[in-house]
Amino acid sequence: MSETLRTDYLLIGFSVSSWFAACALREEDSSGRILAVTEEDRVYSRPLLSYVLGNRSNGMTYFGDVVSENPAEVWWNCAVEKLDGPGKWVELADGRRVAFGKALVATGGVPVFPPIPGAEGGGVFTFTRVDDMERMAAYIDQHDVEDILVLGGGFIGLKTCEALIALNKRITLVELAPRLLINMMDQTGSRYLEKALLKEGVEVVLEDTVERFERKENELCSSVLKSGRSLPHRLAVVAIGVRPNISWLAGSGLQVNRGVLVNAHQETSCPGVFAAGDVAETMNMITGERSVVAVWPEAVAQGKVAGKNMAGKHKTYQGSLPLNAVEVGETAIVSAGLVNPPDNGTYVTIIREERDVYQKLVLKEDRIVGLIFVGDIEKAGIYVHLIRHRIPVDSFREKLLQPDFGIISLPLNFRKHMVEGAGIEV
Amino acid sequence: MKHIKIHEEYCIGCRLCEINCLVKHSHTGKIIKAFKEESPRAFPRIRVEEEGCLSFALQCRHCEDAPCVENCMTGAMRRDKENATVLCDEEKCVGCWMCIMSCPCGVIKREKKTRRIASKCDLCGGVDEPVCVAHCPNEALTYE
Repeated sequence: MSETLRTDYLLIGFSVSSWFAACALREEDSSGRILAVTEEDRVYSRPLLSYVLGNRSNGMTYFGDVVSENPAEVWWNCAVEKLDGPGKWVELADGRRVAFGKALVATGGVPVFPPIPGAEGGGVFTFTRVDDMERMAAYIDQHDVEDILVLGGGFIGLKTCEALIALNKRITLVELAPRLLINMMDQTGSRYLEKALLKEGVEVVLEDTVERFERKENELCSSVLKSGRSLPHRLAVVAIGVRPNISWLAGSGLQVNRGVLVNAHQETSCPGVFAAGDVAETMNMITGERSVVAVWPEAVAQGKVAGKNMAGKHKTYQGSLPLNAVEVGETAIVSAGLVNPPDNGTYVTIIREERDVYQKLVLKEDRIVGLIFVGDIEKAGIYVHLIRHRIPVDSFREKLLQPDFGIISLPLNFRKHMVEGAGIEV
Repeated sequence: MKHIKIHEEYCIGCRLCEINCLVKHSHTGKIIKAFKEESPRAFPRIRVEEEGCLSFALQCRHCEDAPCVENCMTGAMRRDKENATVLCDEEKCVGCWMCIMSCPCGVIKREKKTRRIASKCDLCGGVDEPVCVAHCPNEALTYE
């Protein structure tokens, strides 16, 4: 066996939660060695990919200081094969071993790809990494692709549609559920979204799925849906979901469920080994249930908490809040928290509905626990802030969703302390 | 760094700050042209909130621990190294709206240029006194 290398801190994967963890580590430990290993060959912002594909961004470079001033030493093209949590070492794909003091598992997610007959042989893509995007863009060019099938009306499916609309492609979006964005939308919100998609020329097919892909002279030419309908297309994007990238953790000693289980300090069942971002299974701050919430703001927050705790500080994660935004044509759509509450008498909804505007708040007792905003999203952040800080709304409940609702509607003792910094209070 | 300080006890709700902010961020910078000729019309990066006899004007607070900066997935939203102002780089913004979802004050808007981008108070680009402060008739906004 080759020599064992050693680092104080090892970051496995180098995307958003690792960037923030490295900076948090350096704030607390000015000299410890921070080593990041990644199987990718460059640093980029993953959610930017769909914008790059749609020619709406100049590139996928992330310009933030957490990257330009990142203190980690990075080893590129360097996959980790194996982790021994209790033994505190990893084995790299090239056979080298790295021993660590503390480690962060931040290997993100991998797309779910169900076995669909005919999918092999080119033209069928998933869309979560930079090489997916580059291969897809090249395929579109080489094959003069005009018709595209997007399978999956979840967040990635919608972002893919956003990009392909910008490229003026004919798109059919197929979703098995009776509505789009099943976890972040309700039936009404989905109808607004479907209307916006239709306006952009996207055909939405609900309650159906692809049974098989068909090929002519080995080239993808169409698909047959479960309903029997046949759809012609030269390219298909399978976007039915992402799952935590944990298969490599077999035998690591880390407890895993859907993702890597962590406590409120982002520490796994194995002391000294932490996890953050799309690979981690955290406590949902609304439901109290464990879940994987694979969104940017939570990856940031988890990375920061992990970094501080790895450096020996005591910092607690407040729990995850599912939250996302999409835009189709002129219609912006955001959602946060619990938007489809169980019908058990515990939850109340407040709704504002106009021609191009739909807003819904979900309340449990005197707290807001979820929201959907379609069309008018400007004040969404205020409501998200109320959700995150579990602010009782009873004293201003009648003002919620009113057009003149604002910071002025909030209790004085709250609004005076809602932003950090001297002299800037509202 | 200097901040725009809000003095709600002096605000009379006249909205001159909104009007001057709109003009400042219009193409022509001329009040009549900005309102009568420009399409789409510019919009203010400041919002006067009113409730009963209480009112105040609110714009980006340029928070110390700004959630819009860390939740920006392009790095377009950033803190200026020199004067600590939070600014959005229009070239880099792709309009994902994570900043809007993160802003506790709800003071970031969608703006349509060649593409949609996030738009907010830029402190009038580093002038001695932002226009909302300069035109406030009752010192309900001060820059200090």
